[in-house]
Amino acid sequence: MLDSMSRISGIMNLVQPVTRRQFLKRATAIGVSVPAFASLLAACGGDDDDEPTPVPPTPTQGSVPTPGPSGGATPTSAPEPTATTAAAATPTSGGGAAPTATTAAPAPTATPAGEQPVMGGVLVTQGHQEIASLHPDDAGPYVHYVIVRNIHEPLVDLDIDYAFIPVLAASYEAAEDALSYTFTIHDGITFHDGEPLTSADIKYNFDWYRDPANAAVLATDYANVADVVIEDELTVTVKMSAIDAAFLANVTGLLIVPEHIHSVTGKDNYSPQATGTGPFKLKEWKAAEYTTLSKYVDYWQGEPYLDEFREDIIPEGSVRAVRLETGEADNSVWPLQAQDNLRFINELSDQFDVNRAPGTAVNHFPLNNEKPALADKVVRQAMLYATDRDSLINDLEKGLSVKAHSGYSPAVQFYYNDDVKKYDYDPEMAKKLLDDAGYVPGSDGIREKDGVRLSFTCTVITGDQRRRPEAEVVQQNLLAVGIDMQIQEAPVATILEQLMAGEMDASLFNWTYGTSEPDCRSVFRSDGARNFSHYKNPVMDELVDAGVATIVPEERQQIYKDIQALTAEDAIFLYVQFWEDIQIWNKRIKGRPAQANNPAAVYPLIWTFWKDES
Amino acid sequence: MIRRLLQGIVVIFFVSIATFGILQLAPGSPIDVMVGEAQVTQEQIALIEAKWGLDKPWYVQYFRWMGNMLKGDFGQSIVRTGVPVSTMLRDAASVTIRLNLIALVISTAIAVPVGIIAAVKRNSLFDYVASIGSTIGIALPSFWISLMLIILFSLKLGWLPASGSQSWKNYIMPVMVLALQETALVARLARGSTLEILRQDFVTTARSKGLMERVVVSRHVVRNAMLPVVTVIGLRLAFLMSGTIIVETIFAWPGVGRLFIDSIFRLDYQVIQAIVLLSSIIVVVMNILTDLAYAYIDPRIRVR
Repeated sequence: MLDSMSRISGIMNLVQPVTRRQFLKRATAIGVSVPAFASLLAACGGDDDDEPTPVPPTPTQGSVPTPGPSGGATPTSAPEPTATTAAAATPTSGGGAAPTATTAAPAPTATPAGEQPVMGGVLVTQGHQEIASLHPDDAGPYVHYVIVRNIHEPLVDLDIDYAFIPVLAASYEAAEDALSYTFTIHDGITFHDGEPLTSADIKYNFDWYRDPANAAVLATDYANVADVVIEDELTVTVKMSAIDAAFLANVTGLLIVPEHIHSVTGKDNYSPQATGTGPFKLKEWKAAEYTTLSKYVDYWQGEPYLDEFREDIIPEGSVRAVRLETGEADNSVWPLQAQDNLRFINELSDQFDVNRAPGTAVNHFPLNNEKPALADKVVRQAMLYATDRDSLINDLEKGLSVKAHSGYSPAVQFYYNDDVKKYDYDPEMAKKLLDDAGYVPGSDGIREKDGVRLSFTCTVITGDQRRRPEAEVVQQNLLAVGIDMQIQEAPVATILEQLMAGEMDASLFNWTYGTSEPDCRSVFRSDGARNFSHYKNPVMDELVDAGVATIVPEERQQIYKDIQALTAEDAIFLYVQFWEDIQIWNKRIKGRPAQANNPAAVYPLIWTFWKDES
Repeated sequence: MIRRLLQGIVVIFFVSIATFGILQLAPGSPIDVMVGEAQVTQEQIALIEAKWGLDKPWYVQYFRWMGNMLKGDFGQSIVRTGVPVSTMLRDAASVTIRLNLIALVISTAIAVPVGIIAAVKRNSLFDYVASIGSTIGIALPSFWISLMLIILFSLKLGWLPASGSQSWKNYIMPVMVLALQETALVARLARGSTLEILRQDFVTTARSKGLMERVVVSRHVVRNAMLPVVTVIGLRLAFLMSGTIIVETIFAWPGVGRLFIDSIFRLDYQVIQAIVLLSSIIVVVMNILTDLAYAYIDPRIRVR
């Protein structure tokens, strides 16, 4: 009957990843999992097949300079200067040049100066799947995060440039030995029910995640926390059992819930009465339909301009695009289809602003360095020279992508190293390298040396309509210099397993090799659980270990820059590009940052936006 | 009658145990989906599994679930916390049933007369138009019609909201899509069965008695021709619960279909099982009711 048919296509339409925000750590599996169903989706006029992987949102809080609604009358409790002792021992400058300072210069906004903020209005954004939970432990999926993060706030967060900024914490500092962190929260912060936020709440939150009885998803983030000590009403000290370079990044995910409510509800009954200190409080939660927040008038940083912030759940990508165009929505948390993105960028630019930022997961061909054909570094370098990545980005990705020079994304400016060996398209160079190394073309044009034929198989994800053409372009590029790459398909789970087991030569998917928390042991260490390229180099092992043995940002920065240089020199894998994250805003929403490298960090700033209905 | 009921209960039992078994065999676990990319140790996963009782053998899980179910407790979703499964189902079902009932009523009201008239006036212009119309209605994929309607009425004309379920305006497009297919299907069926009845001897007899054609059709033909139509409408009613996933997806209606699919992808056992169980109960009940309706329309059919 009709039903069986519609059920199948329905399934195809809805296959979307339940993405969980990984707190700035390693691997994003989403890049791999989405397109598995791409062909099916396309076959039925489907949905979000080709969109860029929504980068795991990295939270942020306003380094927000925008004054309160009345344009100055309301005092802005802009985050206090971070009391930092020795700059060296402070992780505050973690994300960027902007160090411990605080009253950062006003971020440039997309709104021309002189425009007066207006009170009132509803900002509507759109998600693709239900907001199943409002508990911070479940805030991983992007569509959850934008709501949960507006209800709750963390002690520290990452801003639109992936730099750490204090939020609830007026100041925070790490001890010299990095074995304890002291957080002092702002005075006078209240939860939505009027109860004050105290250090006891902070301790409660840490302890709740750490208690095995609660079986929290994020418990592992605080595995190195030994104890949380209340110093006074506003100060806590977190004692560590071991140095944990990722600790502060993890704390950005600790969205504070009130002890007096949460200790009664527990996690499982918390969502309907989610309460935090954030700029918006829960008004109505209809998981599969919409979730509405209304402004918290007594918000400690100032009253929000908007009356309400709502997220509608619209599973179909093209419908999200239509609703943006008709003005039913102002933004979409979950991306649109590629062709719709292009339309907003090219044709509708007078009505909409598009924030484009490279993602953090690199689109790459992992190459098994232990296979004879791929073991020689010269061969891998030649492959990079032979690949015409610029054309690929222009033709296949319509320019909505950024060329990669290692596994690290230029979006994370603090750690990104642009000064690495670069392989611009140069097939002659590739041929020369191979000739010099003694690889000579055989009768079929494929090069050989000592019985090693430069031929291997790349396994792409079954039905991956976005990356399969990419593999075919690279196949032609490589063939042109005498390297044979065969293409076959397999499901994601099979690829991940067989690649690690050494049963596959190569593959093609997106993976995070480091973001604002740059630790990359799992992908680069000889024994790394996600060392897809089977790269084994004692120098690299030392580097990745050194990277997590210190929490001093400048030291870490140098280490990770060295890691990128080594990645490029050894051409560990064939890195291609970073797909862009496209965020579309209706221009009537004012007060937005002009450009955000960390698109997820825009949502916690919504309280500083206003809606110009005129 | 009693036997039919007992058979139904056995069917429902096997459906539930089969669903449970298939879910156990499916690769992955809801906890994997829940955890996603968070950095989680194996021990932590084990802790979460224990919290939800997923560490127990499948038959223990099954009988615990069955026991609760018999007490009317549908349990808690692993994924959507803070709301009992029964509430989730009730909310979703009310959306789906509202939407489908309206479509069903409208389409039946249009389709049955159209089908009968087309059959009676066979090979007339009306018949051709109705036949072509219903063929197109069946052939057009509903996602395509839905998107075209949205582009026309929301984007180009700006008359109707593209999605949502808040006002009466939201009903127009989804009901149109659902009713179009429904109408096409039922009209074809009504035409076919009417044609068949028209060829029967008793119709010839009725005509030869000198009855007016109108009376022949309304008194003798329609009643007989409606049997297969009632079957189909009954089945459609049974499918009300399982929803119309494409329409719910495109127009963003939070119905049972979407809940079901979402739950399958998250392996949300409690919700999947509850929906399957309820659906199988409804199908069994609707089958029994359809049989009763037969008996009412056609006295030849009696449940012995």
